[in-house]
Amino acid sequence: MAAQPDPGRSTEQIVSQFLSKALHAILAARIPFIHGPTIPTSRPPRKRDRWFHLALGDPPPALEHPSGLLPNGVMEPLVVDILLSPREDPTMPEAIVERWVAQCEVPAPWSPLHSPAESSSNSFLVKRTYKKSIILLRSIYSVLRLLPAQRVFKMLCASNQSYNYDLTYRVSSFAEPFSRKEEAEFRSHYFSPVETQYGQLAVSVQYRPSLSQFNLEISSLLPPMLITDYVGSPAADPMRTFPASPSERSATRSSISYSFRGSRDGRPSTSAPASAPLFNRPHSWTGAPNEGPSHRAQPAHQPPTGSQRKPTFNFDEFKFSPPFYMSPTPSPPKFSGSYMQSPLRAESAPVSIPQSGTSKVKGLRSPNLSDPTRNFLPPPSPKSARTAEPSSQDSESKSFRKPDGLRISDAYSNMYGTPKGPKDGKDDSGRFSLSGSPRFTFSRSSSRISVPDDLDDPDFSYPFAVDDVDSSDSQARSNDGKEALDFGHASSSHKSQDAAVGELVHMLKTAAPLRDSTYSSQSSKSELQEEGLGSTSSFFMSRMASDALDELQSYKNIKEMLLSQSRAKLHESLRRNN
Amino acid sequence: MNCETCQLKELELDPTEIRDVLRCVVHTIFFHRALGLVRPKDVDCELFEITYVQCGDAELEKKIDEKLEQFVAWSEKHPNRKSQVCLSFYEVKSKQSSWFGSKVERHYWEHWIVNVNVHPINPPRSSFLNNREKVLEETSTRRSALETSVREILFQIIKFANEKQEHIPPVTNTEVVSFPYEISTPR
Repeated sequence: MAAQPDPGRSTEQIVSQFLSKALHAILAARIPFIHGPTIPTSRPPRKRDRWFHLALGDPPPALEHPSGLLPNGVMEPLVVDILLSPREDPTMPEAIVERWVAQCEVPAPWSPLHSPAESSSNSFLVKRTYKKSIILLRSIYSVLRLLPAQRVFKMLCASNQSYNYDLTYRVSSFAEPFSRKEEAEFRSHYFSPVETQYGQLAVSVQYRPSLSQFNLEISSLLPPMLITDYVGSPAADPMRTFPASPSERSATRSSISYSFRGSRDGRPSTSAPASAPLFNRPHSWTGAPNEGPSHRAQPAHQPPTGSQRKPTFNFDEFKFSPPFYMSPTPSPPKFSGSYMQSPLRAESAPVSIPQSGTSKVKGLRSPNLSDPTRNFLPPPSPKSARTAEPSSQDSESKSFRKPDGLRISDAYSNMYGTPKGPKDGKDDSGRFSLSGSPRFTFSRSSSRISVPDDLDDPDFSYPFAVDDVDSSDSQARSNDGKEALDFGHASSSHKSQDAAVGELVHMLKTAAPLRDSTYSSQSSKSELQEEGLGSTSSFFMSRMASDALDELQSYKNIKEMLLSQSRAKLHESLRRNN
Repeated sequence: MNCETCQLKELELDPTEIRDVLRCVVHTIFFHRALGLVRPKDVDCELFEITYVQCGDAELEKKIDEKLEQFVAWSEKHPNRKSQVCLSFYEVKSKQSSWFGSKVERHYWEHWIVNVNVHPINPPRSSFLNNREKVLEETSTRRSALETSVREILFQIIKFANEKQEHIPPVTNTEVVSFPYEISTPR
């Protein structure tokens, strides 16, 4: 007979997974860019998705191990504060817009729910708990979309602009209760609790019914600047890499500090791996994208008497930047101050092909405007970016996750060794700071453009959208039998040269047929006589014809020169190859 | 087994609002009662600033849209009438009716009744130029009131779905919509 699963352990696992999934749902609906790319429908559901029959995709790194979420077990409450953090003025306080509380409440001894469940009905209770948890999670998911903060979240996600506020979060096992005045500003919604073997799994949310007091507007953090080498500019080198968005750049100045005061607890955690940390102290962690070292000091708080929680609750908080942990979406190309220092280049407007065969036509350099691999256009919006570039985002988000996951695990491992100290003692043994610069300089912007170093012909015009092909490409093309025109620079654009030649040929072909000058003059004379015009007109007509002939001759000379040069280059390249 | 019935608050709709509003309401009900594995899909209402969740099942979406089109067609033929759209969940049980055969019966265990009052909202006939702003203001007021009503109904659904769960039968399959259902519209 197969051993029956322990109902107690099953219930604990259900509650633990429920809290983890609830947190995942809350953060995914409130913190911009914390979530990975949208789950492809073709991807088979993973084991994690099957929990509560709600596929939410891969969780953020901090939620990879649900055991780390509740180191003191499932009886510890989970408090998630969603905050609006002013971006431009760090001195302004953050404001809590939502507070989610999920906990397993042990019923009072006099409550009819306090009677222990019979062993024979334990499995039935587990199944019922699981089924109700499924519905409760669906309700949480729905309510998240109906609360006012959803609108703010959508604004921050959808727009490529940066706003004067950020949505951040704070997760802890205990939070300071609101004052009476604050309490009056909030409304509450209580979900029906789910009965479990350990008590009632209760979830509630306090939220601000209106966020109009926060004037959410586009941030004016960036000073106005004159951008000369914009994306698509003729002066911009296609291979130039533009820096990340200002939010990412500002985050490079922030450091992530973790401080832990923890101690080893001998109580085993059934749902955690063997190496999971065990504490008898709650902890909290927050997500703040653009903050420096933690300035917030959460005072030690004594829980209300009569509570069945442990009497000592001191917690430190550490902040990290979940949006830049994940940062799956490309940010709009923003230009750093170094761009302002670059010399202004006088760029001429595109003009037609030069009419003379002089050496004005020197280096043909044009931006890579048509190469699809070099995206000159602003990156798409986050949603479309997620759907449009799944593979790249997958790889990049994974590259984010791994180091961050390792860092989090390092943080937890640091907690193992911290001895039991005084409740309010400052223990720096677990403190370490994470520099966000490697992470923050990673730009998901798809506009990787390099500035050319040697644009020395500002008067040259780029009438065509052409590729910027280097010498190796030119050899390849010449080997293919295409004509490669080089005006003396390695980075000349063959397509533009081809286009120039093509245009010339087209002009020559479509030019009005030139009559014989005598015939034309005679005919024009006759025409003019017929029309009653004087001899000066005929002279003028013949003059125009001769000019046209001269022009034609010059075009032909240019063409022959170009062709001869290209042939010479081709021979040279073939000789080098051989 | 008990059969629970949830009567939702009445909605006063313009014919142009039927699809958007009812789609939002019906999908929210399904999201709370389709207990199979779902990949939730956020959908924004066209007429309101409301985001609701769909189960991400194309077949379900298609069936709901078909039923709503039937209802819209009926309401066009019967304007200015109160009506109901009923979403019911049931179990299929076979009953031995005689020696030679068995009868399949439906045991309904939950009904969701969406009360709808469809009537065209006509602006008052007056000087268009003089009252254009007034008309727009009235339309905007009415629309925001309707949005509030829809939100209340969604919270009503969530509350009922959470409070009444004892009557829900066990989940026996892995399909998205784990229970057979029926959407009834007036004929």
